Amino acid sequence: MNEKEMLYQKRLERYITAMDCGKPDMVPVAFGVGEWITKYTGTTLQEIYYDLDKSTDVVSEMLPGLDFDIFKGGPALWWPPMFDAMGSKLYKFPGIGVDENSTFQFNEQEYMKAEDYDEFIASPTEWLVNHYLPNISTELENPGSYRSTVALIKGAAAFAMQGGIMAAAWGKWTVENGIVGQGTGFTKAPFDTLGDALRGMKGVLLDLRRRPEKVLAACDAITPHNVNCGLAGPGADTRFPCFAPLHRGAYPFLNPKQWDTFYWPSLKATIEGMWAKGKRMLFYAEGDWTPYLEKILELPDKSIVFQIDTTDAKKAKKILGGRFCLQGGVPTTLLTYGTPEKVKEHIKRTFDELAYDGGFILDTGGVVMGDAKKENAIAMIEAARKYGIY
Amino acid sequence: MLTDALSIAIAELEEEQVAGLVKERLDSGVSPLEIVNSLQQGMAEAGSRFETGEYFLGELIMCGEIMQDSMVILEPLLIGSNAEYKGSIVMGTVKGDIHDLGKNIVVMLLKGSGYNVIDLGVDVSKEKFIEAIKASNAPLVGMSVLLTGCQESMKETIEAIRAAGLNTKVLIGGNYIDDIIKDYVGADYSAQAATDGIKVAEEIFSL
Repeated sequence: MNEKEMLYQKRLERYITAMDCGKPDMVPVAFGVGEWITKYTGTTLQEIYYDLDKSTDVVSEMLPGLDFDIFKGGPALWWPPMFDAMGSKLYKFPGIGVDENSTFQFNEQEYMKAEDYDEFIASPTEWLVNHYLPNISTELENPGSYRSTVALIKGAAAFAMQGGIMAAAWGKWTVENGIVGQGTGFTKAPFDTLGDALRGMKGVLLDLRRRPEKVLAACDAITPHNVNCGLAGPGADTRFPCFAPLHRGAYPFLNPKQWDTFYWPSLKATIEGMWAKGKRMLFYAEGDWTPYLEKILELPDKSIVFQIDTTDAKKAKKILGGRFCLQGGVPTTLLTYGTPEKVKEHIKRTFDELAYDGGFILDTGGVVMGDAKKENAIAMIEAARKYGIY
Repeated sequence: MLTDALSIAIAELEEEQVAGLVKERLDSGVSPLEIVNSLQQGMAEAGSRFETGEYFLGELIMCGEIMQDSMVILEPLLIGSNAEYKGSIVMGTVKGDIHDLGKNIVVMLLKGSGYNVIDLGVDVSKEKFIEAIKASNAPLVGMSVLLTGCQESMKETIEAIRAAGLNTKVLIGGNYIDDIIKDYVGADYSAQAATDGIKVAEEIFSL
């Protein structure tokens, strides 16, 4: 083994040990190169999003010399040309729809109407193909038409091209820097599939009162698809967790009874379905999940890594610690409004409170925005190594 | 403590009961304005239940929706009556940001409380804000933001409003908003919860 391979093995062991609630040699640190990089590289966000070579180059230049364990990826979450090929209405990307240096944003609408529930529940995939795709993409308005078929082929080709380019970049980053990729696969809570993508926030909240039985039936219909989505994407890999950004379950969207009835059962079933095949979920609890921590204890031991965003971290440690690995500890706003000194102090305190008995990965609470400061991001990694040795 | 059946029905989010009572009262000759008053009282109760933690966002949105549906029937009937708005408020999500869930809830609550709300939508330029404030002469403008990256555009908008010589009070609201950000962007008030906006409006319009 060369030096980088040895480093990779050490970091991998650190990561796996923490996910299994154990105590590695030091606290594993997760790091991503966010949109903030553009300010330091003389590029616009639009260039970073559209030009994959440019976006992977700035990451390749940034990584050498940084000592962290788990890599969360580069600044561009999506490659817009795939969406452009289909005339997608789902996102506004930098330079198209919003300013060239504004971040991408989701254009939330009721793409599925209340009267669509029955057809959706009867066959979700069929409904998506026949109705959802035409609703979300101008080029797919007439399924089966010449225009629609060509747009689908172009979109699929763009998806494959992006996959190829990104796989090569991740390969290079891994080999040259000995860093471990955070996860494999992607899924969602069934209620989020319904509430984010299909009905929208307002739509789904009104549905809870107007047609609660349809919401439940839809979540049940989505569950096997979301289990499969988390498993099939990464193939046979079960070493790394499947990323699941969780949205509508955050406080204070749903009242506790609604959370127990509508949000939790299908998410729990999704997690258990994946865990039965050995696949763990990165339970990316965006926002505040403090009121629901006790319910999360119903999950099988170690079946998730719980991401702490604005959830009360000490309560999360007290309730979930030992049963599930916790990840987070650094508020995203600290990287924007803080100073390197403040970041360092914060990390020392965080380790004392959250990391003392293992089962902890240091990470930013949520997605780091473009206004974060590079010196704070670097200070986070440095402080983690200084204070993180067990 | 509410005693009016209609106020109780909307506070309890009983959609069909509200629709039934509104129709019944109109048929029996109750003035539309009085009916709106009952609905507003119930809505205020829902707002305070949200503040105490009894209601969550889902309840608040449902309450606003019931109010909105009732106003579709009542608003045309109010014309000619001596119904008066408590005042005009301009609202919008600042340039660069297209998030509107929070803004829409505040707009619903303000409308439900009897304000004339001029809702400019999302990704609103400073020029549009200024134009709307001038046209309506609104003493209060509300700016919504979710993305921290859009803070600069909020600051620029407030500076432009001041530079245009408008003495409108500025309320900023959003998930991460606090007094530090309020001072940084030069706003007069800041709000984190939807019901905070109502309190600020009450303060300004009672002057």
